[in-house]
Order: sequence, then C-alpha cells, then structure tokens
Amino acid sequence: MISQVFILSSQGDHLIYKDFRGEAGSDVVSVFYEKVTALTGDQPPVVMSHGDLHFVHVRQGGLYWVATTTSPGSSPFTIIEFLNRFSALVKDYCGSLSEKSVQMNFALIYELLDEVVDYGYIQTTSSDVLKNFIQTEAVSSKPFSLFDLSNVGFFGAETQQSKVAPSSAASRPIQSSREQGGRSEIFLDVIERMSVVIGSKGVVLKADVEGEVRVKCFMPSCSEMRIGLNEEFSIGKSQLRGYGAAVRVDECRFHQNVHLDEFHSNRVLRLCPSQGEQTVMQYQLSDDLPSAPPFRLFPTIERDSGGRLLMYLKLRCDLPSKSAAINVCATIPVPKGSVSLSQELSSPDQSAELKLQNRAIDWKIPRFIGGTQLSALFKLEVSGLSPSSLMEVGPVVLVFELPQLTVSGLQIRFLRLSPVQPAPSQRWIRYVTHSDSYILRL
Amino acid sequence: MSVQNFPPIYSTVVEIFQWLKSVYKNISFPEKGSCLSSGRSLAPRGRRSCSSIGCIVSVPFGSHNNVWSTGRDPAIWEADTDAVYAALSHHLWSTFTAPEAKSSNEDLKEMLESNKESLKLEAMKRVVGLIAKGKNASELFPAVVKNVASKNIELKKLVYVYLVRYAEEQQDLALLSISTFQRALKEPNQFIRASALRVLSSIRVSIIVPIMMLAIKEASADMSPYVRKTAAHAIQKLYSLDPDQKEQLIEVIEKLLKDKSTLVAGSVVVAFDEVCPDRIDLIHKNYRKLCNLLVDVEEWGQVVIISMLTRYARTQFTSPWKEDNEKAFYESEEEKKDQTEATPYTMDPDHRLLLRNTKPLLQSRNTAVVMSVAQLYWHLAPKHEVNIVTKSLVRLLRSHREVQYIVLQNIATMSIQRKGMFEPFMKSFYVRSTDATHIKTLKLEILTNLANEANISTILREFQTYVKSQDKAFAAATIQAIGRCATDISEVTDTCLSGLVLLLSNRDETVVAESVVVIKKLLQTQPTQHSDIIKHMAKLFDNISVSMARASILWLMGEYCERVPKIAPDVLRKMAKTFTAEEDIVKLQTVNLAAKLYLTNSKQTKLLTQYILNLGKYDQSYDIRDRTRFVRQLIVPNEKSGALNKYARRILLAPKPAPMLESAFKDRDRFQLGTLSHSINSKATGYQELSDWPAVAPDQSVRNVEVVEPSSSESEEQSSDESDETSSDSGKSSSGSEKSSSESEPEQKKKTKTKKAPQKKSKAAAAVTAPSFGPVKTHELLHHMTGKGLSAKYHFPRQPCLYQPSMVAVQVILANSSDHSLEKIHIGDRSPAGLNIHCFNTIERLEPEASVTVSMGIDFSDSTQAANFQLCTKEDQFSVSIQPVVGELLMPSTMSEQDFSKEQGGSFAGRTVSSGALVLVSLELKESSALLTINTEKSVMASMLLRDLKQALALA
Repeated sequence: MISQVFILSSQGDHLIYKDFRGEAGSDVVSVFYEKVTALTGDQPPVVMSHGDLHFVHVRQGGLYWVATTTSPGSSPFTIIEFLNRFSALVKDYCGSLSEKSVQMNFALIYELLDEVVDYGYIQTTSSDVLKNFIQTEAVSSKPFSLFDLSNVGFFGAETQQSKVAPSSAASRPIQSSREQGGRSEIFLDVIERMSVVIGSKGVVLKADVEGEVRVKCFMPSCSEMRIGLNEEFSIGKSQLRGYGAAVRVDECRFHQNVHLDEFHSNRVLRLCPSQGEQTVMQYQLSDDLPSAPPFRLFPTIERDSGGRLLMYLKLRCDLPSKSAAINVCATIPVPKGSVSLSQELSSPDQSAELKLQNRAIDWKIPRFIGGTQLSALFKLEVSGLSPSSLMEVGPVVLVFELPQLTVSGLQIRFLRLSPVQPAPSQRWIRYVTHSDSYILRL
Repeated sequence: MSVQNFPPIYSTVVEIFQWLKSVYKNISFPEKGSCLSSGRSLAPRGRRSCSSIGCIVSVPFGSHNNVWSTGRDPAIWEADTDAVYAALSHHLWSTFTAPEAKSSNEDLKEMLESNKESLKLEAMKRVVGLIAKGKNASELFPAVVKNVASKNIELKKLVYVYLVRYAEEQQDLALLSISTFQRALKEPNQFIRASALRVLSSIRVSIIVPIMMLAIKEASADMSPYVRKTAAHAIQKLYSLDPDQKEQLIEVIEKLLKDKSTLVAGSVVVAFDEVCPDRIDLIHKNYRKLCNLLVDVEEWGQVVIISMLTRYARTQFTSPWKEDNEKAFYESEEEKKDQTEATPYTMDPDHRLLLRNTKPLLQSRNTAVVMSVAQLYWHLAPKHEVNIVTKSLVRLLRSHREVQYIVLQNIATMSIQRKGMFEPFMKSFYVRSTDATHIKTLKLEILTNLANEANISTILREFQTYVKSQDKAFAAATIQAIGRCATDISEVTDTCLSGLVLLLSNRDETVVAESVVVIKKLLQTQPTQHSDIIKHMAKLFDNISVSMARASILWLMGEYCERVPKIAPDVLRKMAKTFTAEEDIVKLQTVNLAAKLYLTNSKQTKLLTQYILNLGKYDQSYDIRDRTRFVRQLIVPNEKSGALNKYARRILLAPKPAPMLESAFKDRDRFQLGTLSHSINSKATGYQELSDWPAVAPDQSVRNVEVVEPSSSESEEQSSDESDETSSDSGKSSSGSEKSSSESEPEQKKKTKTKKAPQKKSKAAAAVTAPSFGPVKTHELLHHMTGKGLSAKYHFPRQPCLYQPSMVAVQVILANSSDHSLEKIHIGDRSPAGLNIHCFNTIERLEPEASVTVSMGIDFSDSTQAANFQLCTKEDQFSVSIQPVVGELLMPSTMSEQDFSKEQGGSFAGRTVSSGALVLVSLELKESSALLTINTEKSVMASMLLRDLKQALALA
C-alpha cells in the first residue's frame, strides 16, 4: 500500500503532494530530493529507504513520480507499475506530460489521484472506469503556432499539408474532445526499437527488434475499430504465409481488449478502444531481421608518423534509397589523453566534435539517405600515444531515427471504424524506428 | 486563521444561541455549563448512543464545545442541519471576520461565499492547488464545507478532496457535513453512494465510528458490487481509526469474502490482509472461489489475492519439493530412501488448482501481476514447473527502466539457485549501450551466475568488450565478474588470469587497480607457481597509484616473498622511501611486508624493517602506531616479549584460506521474491516471512463447499444493474434448496444484456444510467404517444423486494423519446387508495433520447388486481396500471423432501409474497398424460395459476 504520492519537478519543486495514510510528514519530500540529488551516477536506485519509509520513484516526462510506503511486504512492482500507469493517466488527461501541464492541472490530477488511490490502496487505473468520475476539465496550453496557419491555403483551400498532422496533434487532453465534438481523431503509431551489435568483422552478433502498435483515441464513443496488418504477417518460425516476403515476428502480445477472431484468417485486429492512449500490440523479433541492419561501419585506425591517431571511418546506410535516416549521431570513444581533433568530413552538413569529458567524438549527420555512404577522417592528437591506446578506441554507438519505416516490415493495411462514424473522423498513421542500442565493435 | 484564534467570544455565542432559538423553536438547549467539556466528547451523557448523528450538532467556539440536541425526530432534523449550518456559518462570518481577519486567502473566501457556481468552482480549484502544493488551507474550512451539499458535481468532488484532507484537523466542523453523506448513502445512483461512503470513511474523526460502522455494514449488503467494493475499502480505514472495532469488522470481511463479484474480491482481500491476516480459517471456504475468479478480477486485486494465496498455500499444503530434497539428503542411506519412495508425493488438487489458475496471468499487461505469479511459482510450484515463468520475466526486461531494475534483482536471486532456468535466455542479459550503470551491473551479476563450462567462452568474450567500457564503475565490476568466473570454473582459471594480467598494462587506473585486487584473490585460491605474475606486478608497482591496488601488491609480495626472494626486499626499500606519503591502508601493508621479510630474510631487511617500524611509531594514525607496536613486539626478540616471539613465524606466515568470490545475491533468497525487503536486501520492519511448508497437510476438507455453483457464467460489469445483484445473493442464501435453485437457474440464463443506456450528455452523472438484466418479458406501462414523449415499460425482476418483504419488486424503464427534456418524473395518486407502493425517487431531469431504470415495490396483497397509479412529470399526469401475472406473486421456498415428497417430473414450492401462504405445484407424468396438482389455501390463485401453467405447458 502507498503512504504518500508526490510529483517533483527536476529542480525539486513540489508540484503535487498527497498523503493517504498520515504515516509520515510532508518533510519527506525534501528528504527524497536530497537523496536523489546527493547520488552520483546516471540513475539513482529505484527503491530508497529513509528509516522505516521507503521511496519508490520513476521518472517520466522529466518529473519525479514518487510513492512512499511503510509496508515492506508490498511489492515494489505494484508501486512502480502504479506510478507508470498514473503518469500515463495524467498524460491522457492533461494532453502532455510536463512540469507546465502538471502545474496547470492541479485540481484535475488531485481528483484523479483521489479516484485512483484510496487510503493507499490502488482502486483502479482503467480510464474507462475513471471517466465516470472525473469531472474537472483539463487546461491545456496551446501556444500560437504558425503551423496551424500553414494548413490553410489561399481562400481556405486545403493544401497538401493538411494530409500531414503536426507531431503535437496527439498531445491534447482526452476529455476536451467531449466538448469540442468535431475533432474525433485516431492516431496510430507503429514504433520499433532496434538493438544491434555488429562485431569487428562485420558479423551481426545480435539483432533485436521490439515493436509496438499504439493507438491514441479521441473518439468520444468509438464502437469498434479494425486494424488490418500485412497479410503475410506470421508469428514464430513455423507458420509462413503468403508468397511474398513474409513479415515475421517471434512473439506477439495483444492488449486484453483486442479480439483476435479475425486475426488468424485475415490478420485483422478488432478492438473497441477506450479514450486515451493504449498499446494494442507488442511484438519482438530477434536475430533474424528481414533486411540487413541499416548501418555498416568500415574503420581504419592507425598511428601516423607524427604520433597522431588516424581514424578513417566509412559509414554506409543500407536502407532503401527512398528512405532516409535522420538525426544520426555516432559516438566514437577515443583513448585517454586525447587533446585535440582535426577532421575531414565528406559533406558540409555533417559535424564532429571531441567531447573531452566523455572521451569521445560525436559525429553528427542530420540526414542520411539510404544507399549512400559517408566518410570521415579524424586526426587525433593524443599525449603519450602507445600501442595499447589503439585498444582503447572502443565500440562505436549509433543513435538514429528512421521515419516512415519499420525494420520488421510491419505495415497497417487499413484502419476502419465500424459502424462508420457520422462525424468526419480523421485517422493518422505513423511509423518510426528508433535505435535502442546500435553498437558497432571495432 | 482558524476559529480558535479569535478572542474570547462567549457572549457572542450566547447571542447566536438566542438567535437560533428564535428560528428553531423546539431546539432544547442544555443547561449552561453542563456540557462545556474540554474534550471532544460531544453529546451529553445518555445521548451518546444515539444512532444517528443527525441529532447532534456541535460548533466549536474557543476551546469549548457547545452542544445542543433536538427533541425532534432525527429524520426531520437531518434535513435541516444544512440550513442551520448555512445560516450559522454565515452569521458567524459576518459577526467575526469582518474587521480584523484580513488574510491572504480572503479573496478565496469571498469567492466561496458568492452565489455564482463558476466563482466557487474557480476558488475550489485554487484551494485544491494549495493542498496539492502542500500548503496549508485549513483556515478556509468553514467556507469550503458549506458547499458539500452543492448540486454541482464538479464542485462537490473538489469539496470532498478538501474534506478528506482537513477533516482530522477540524473535527467539529467536519461533523456538520456528515448528514450530507448519510443522505447520499441512500441515493439511487451507485456511484454517488460509493463516493459518499468513501469520503465518509476517510474522515478520520473518532466520534463518527459508529456511523461508519453502520454505513459499512449497510453498504456491504448493497446491491451494487461497486458500493460493496467501496465498503471493503472502508474496512481498513475504520480499523486504523479504531482498532476496537476489529471483531465487527471481521464479520463484515467474512461476509464480503463470500461475495461472488470479481470487483469485490480484490478489495476484501486487502481488508483481510490489513485487519486479520492470521484468520486463515476465513479463507478456507472461499479458496476455490478465489482461485476461479482470479482471472476476471481487476489487475490490482489480482496482485493482492495472489500474494495472499501464496501465504495461504504455504500453510495448507505440503511441500512439492520434498522428494528432491530427501533424495539428495539421504543419498547414501539406502533404507531411508526406500521409505520416502514408499509414500510418493501427490499434490493436493487445490494446490494444483492455484497453480493452474494463475498460469494464464503470466500474460498480463501489468508487470506487478506477472511478478507476483512468478514469485508464486517460485515459492509454490514443483521445481520442474518453475521454468514456465522464465519467459515472462525475460519479457519484463523490455519494460520501463525501473521495472527492469527490480526484475533483474529477482532474476539474480533466482539464477543462483537455478542456472538452467535462464540459460537459454542468456543473450537477453547482454549489456546494451543505453543501460544505466546499475542495470549493467545487475546484468553482469546474472551472466556470472549463469556461467558454466559450456558457455564460459561466450561469456568471457562478452566481458572482454565490457572491460573497454567508458563507464569505469562498470568496467571494474566486469573485472570482478571475470574473477568470479575464474574461481567457479576451474577450466578457465588460467585463461582469466592471463587476461587479467594483460589488463595490468591498461592505461586506466581503475581497471588496473581492480585487476590487481582480483588477481590477488585469484592467486590466493591458486597457491601454485605464479611467481611470474607477482614479478610482473612488482614491475608495475611504481605506476599504480590507487591505494587499494598498491596495498594488494604489497600483501602479495609479503605472502609469497619466498617465491620472489630478490624482488620483495627491493619493493620494501622503495616503500621505505615513500612511506610517509602513502595512504593508511598502504602503510599497514608495508609494515606487514616488512615483518614478513624480517622473519624470512632478516639478513637483507633487518635495517629496513627497523626504519619502517620507527616511521610507523610516530605516524599520525593510531591504527598504524598500534600495528607497529604490535609487530615490533612480535618479531623483534627482547626480554619482555616472552613466548609469543617463538610463534611469530607461525602467526604471520600461516597458510591463509582463500577468499570466496561469490555473488552479492547469495543470501537474498531469505526474502520472499518480489517484496520490498528483497529489493533493499534488508529486513524492513514488519516484513512477514513466508512460513515453511507444514510437515503434515492440514485437513483438506475445510475447503469443501457444499454447493458448487458455476462461476463462469457470471460476469459482472462495472455498472451492472443493481437489483440483479440480489439475485446472486439470494441464490446463495437459499443455496441449500435444490428445488428453488432449479427454478431460478433457467431464469438466470434467460437474462439478456440490454445495451448500455446511452451516455448522458449532461455533465451530471447523477442519474442512474445502468443497464438492466432480467427476464425477457417486459410489459408496456405507458406508450410514448399517450405519454407525450415519456414511455415506460416494466418487468418483474423476480427477486425479493428490497423495501418490504411483502412487496413485489418491479423495475420500470423510463425513456424520453420527445425532443425536450422531461423534468420531475415521479409517482402521483394511486388507487385503490390503500395500495402500498414504494415509489422511486423523483427523477429531476430526463434528457431526450435518454432512458433510466428505476425500481419500485408494490404490495399486491396476493391478488391479481391491477395496481393503478399516476406517473407524473412536471407538466403532465398519466394514469397507468400494473397487472401482475399470478406467477409473479410467488417466491420460491425451501422445504425438505419429507414435507414435499416428489416422485418424478417437475415440482415447485413457493410462498405468496404478501401473506406468505404456501403454494405447492407438482407434476406427475403418466403414460400419455400428465397430472398437474396445485395445493394452496388461496383458491382463486390456485385456479389462475393452473390455467396459466396449462397454457404454458401446452405451448411447450
């Protein structure tokens, strides 16, 4: 059971504080913040103790979500899961998760908290149940945006751009849709995260893709939704379907509300989405990617006569030529004692920088079109360069984003609402692949 | 600013009393001073037992409590309290606060006092904002609490939030809101009832304990499962407020444990855990039901139930692991082995039931549920079945970072005992570049636990890349892990050792230092010829600055000084030069090395040793001075040192046991997996240990339940119809009777779910919008053409009427098919005049297209004469009548077979609702015809019933 719940901003400002059982004073908030900030390292432990009081916290949206408990038998999972669910609820209700949105919606969040937890016991976190109780309206900040204007063409004609929704479109409170009425929209995201390890000889040592299909629904009363996946979609190694290149995943899990009766024959998911965000399907694929990993590195590292370390790196993007990777950043660890860097990059939009405190070079490529190859020559001034320094040039870590692309090949064939909504409903579909951990060993 | 801070105001109080007296003539005031007690006991003696708070009102003035009570009927008074309070507080504020009390929250107060809803709402939002930030808003209590009876739900809810927060501090004022809640407890809308109970039970004022008790008892028998759930939640609140209520609360828990609703199950188990976790006997009869319901319980309830059932199972079933243990233990003793085989273990079917029913929950979306099932399997399942949780746990690693951390901790503990469980998933524990340090360290821990002869080369290759990591803490941990692998698996010791020696030439200090420390440990476990490595380390000594590493090398030199006879004295010589600049730990080891060399090679090192001992004698640290003094006495022979001197060599150069390199998670299995204590690795106060398996299983039959009813068909919805609930309750209470249940069961199957009534568009969720269940046959009460848009249908839910036992329950569905909303729908005149009807509460407003289901009770006095009454709206009145079929006037009745001997065919025993006269129907089948007999004292009824039954049978 939970004794207190509080939300802190990253600077330690008290945003929300609620005591359920009166077991500890409100001064523990500052105790917690001291504990968190006193610790070094990238992330403090999830569970911390202060006398008999235990803090469990998660970080979401740049805020600390903390629950305290005095009962040692209770499972930390329950509390972590609760905090994550609660932050998701706040996100649904307030539109987005930030210090500002929390500050503007004190009353709403407090009311939510009141319904979700009673005397330290979690009652429900289902948004379907909660919508019966929550009365307070969300306040959302809508900054004036030129983007809104750009959608309107001359004389109000629709421009091409209206086919693209701004990425912030989905971050608005679910409740307000009840009043506005007109904007019944559905956003569907297919998000994949890949973690790849490529050995020094270019062999793929490990390749994992985790994906999920997420729906954010703003329909006040959505009866049923049908999501069609690729017909060749197959789960596990045995059942291959269709003639084309199969889209295969190893394991697949569905949200409990998804009806799978049409899934086996037609690869259609049926569900009645509740308002707000939910993960409809999660899947993963390991080791056997349908296509080659998107990036390959060809390094040459040597010492030149002047006692400098020369790194000649060729990076090749193996995506299809009509797609591109964006925000690519390669981090190349360099030996101890590196002093300065001179660089030759193959195109002007790239940039490279030596980060001394991380002992690494950050090589940034804003846009990397499929099928092309980029190269960089780094000359490093290293004090006390020795043969063992070459050993210290560690694995290269790549961070990137692949818009409009799924590595697994999963596609949404269609997204239908039945019965057909009377009001014009808008459906948005988005694909994106992120690098979770993309390591190229040298 | 609180009321207490005002200057003495006694005279004003009297004034107010005078004024109140003029308003409410029959309020009787107690004698002045008779109840001016300083404590919180409010009522005058003798009135304390008053069952309703409605007749006690108190207002605090200064430190006194002034109490007056009314001689009136509590019910009437209840309705008036609000008015009194409103008047009173208004008067109070205008009297007291006007000049002197200008506070920062003055504007909020003004807004709350205003007549505009919007202003009040805005003010309340700001007040809640103050609370949320942890600021004190208690001074607004009187102004806020007035709004507790507001019609605006949004406002009302915010007031509730405020009340719960401050009621404890402002007990006396809080009492004034009680009557509002008491009234709300009787609302037809289940959500309002539940919410009222929730807030009422959150008001931590000990004087209302009896009221809370009463409310909980009533709510625990409520028709709505949602209200019963809230009642279960209220139990622990009341318990913490007043532990003396334990016995009564246990009764309520016992009753609620029997509840079949999935909504209630989780909450009542929470209450059980909090109030009486030791009353395991309450669980016996409900054990199977809980197991069967588990899948349908909402997720948070599942967690609680699973952990309770884990504890239960550990006390009620015998260990499924017994055989394995015994075999291993008695391996050599043939006889005993035979004995254990003679009594093979068979699992209790209930134990199996639990394992079987929790397994599907491994697929749950909620990580807490998955983990609790995993720990259940770990603690309860036979060893070979535990493996099924592996996959789900590994899956959790893809969840949030915080979850990953705790899952990895638990896997670390599990992987020590059961390597095989996680070995196929070894790759999942490979470190990723994005992992945080503590996640990486845990993964390393697990990989080390999983290492065996077959996979060690893969793991070591993986470790090699980790050593290169930029994260130095992690690289150091990796070196430790390599050391552990080297000790665990003797085949790779040499490989590891040479690898670690290579690391000694690394340019990073932390890596080198850690390697030295690990090599030291390894050499100790391998006291063979490793003088090369020691020499190599001696060479590196000058370049190493980390004190722990320097100390380790010095210790190694001393320990194996006979293997490196030439180098060791030289190292000592170097140390003599830098001694004063070293850290304490290095100095201690220098003294140590000097002593050992003095004993083995005194010719070369005598002077050096004495020099070092002299330095140590005047060192700043008392530890070093102490050590020096001790060593000098031990090794340097003089007249005082006596016998010890002879043994110096044996003491200092004794063979030392090698240190064990073992997992930090080795002893964590003493804690139950998935608990907080396990996570922090210390026994937190109040940690309940999981009891050990009993040697002999307790009686199994205690879990037997006489009537096992199918539980699958019952899927209750959040807002399922209220009176439907009573059917399952009544079914339970009359569960002994085969006959009545055989009658009612087909009925239950006939129930069809009607579509949920369209969501009301108005914000007020106040009106009942519940879907209804019941027999299919509905009758027209009022057609919408005649009713000017209002239509009404009714049906008989065939359940005991709630209002009076002699009434027949009737459900009326009112729908508005006009284009405007209808207001104030209620029941008007009735005929015959004496007709006893329990009306539904007036429906304030029915929007177009909306419908509402209400229940009413009618006493037909066992006649089929129609009940006529008027259905009124604000504008119109419509005469309607309900004509009951004779069957609706009967209730099933229980009787023994002796009383009613049945031969064959169907038969039925019942009583008329109103007078309770017995009605017996028997059907006897002969070759080609059937004989239908009806016995009852009501002849009219008998003939009508016979006619109806004949018709029905002819059709069938």
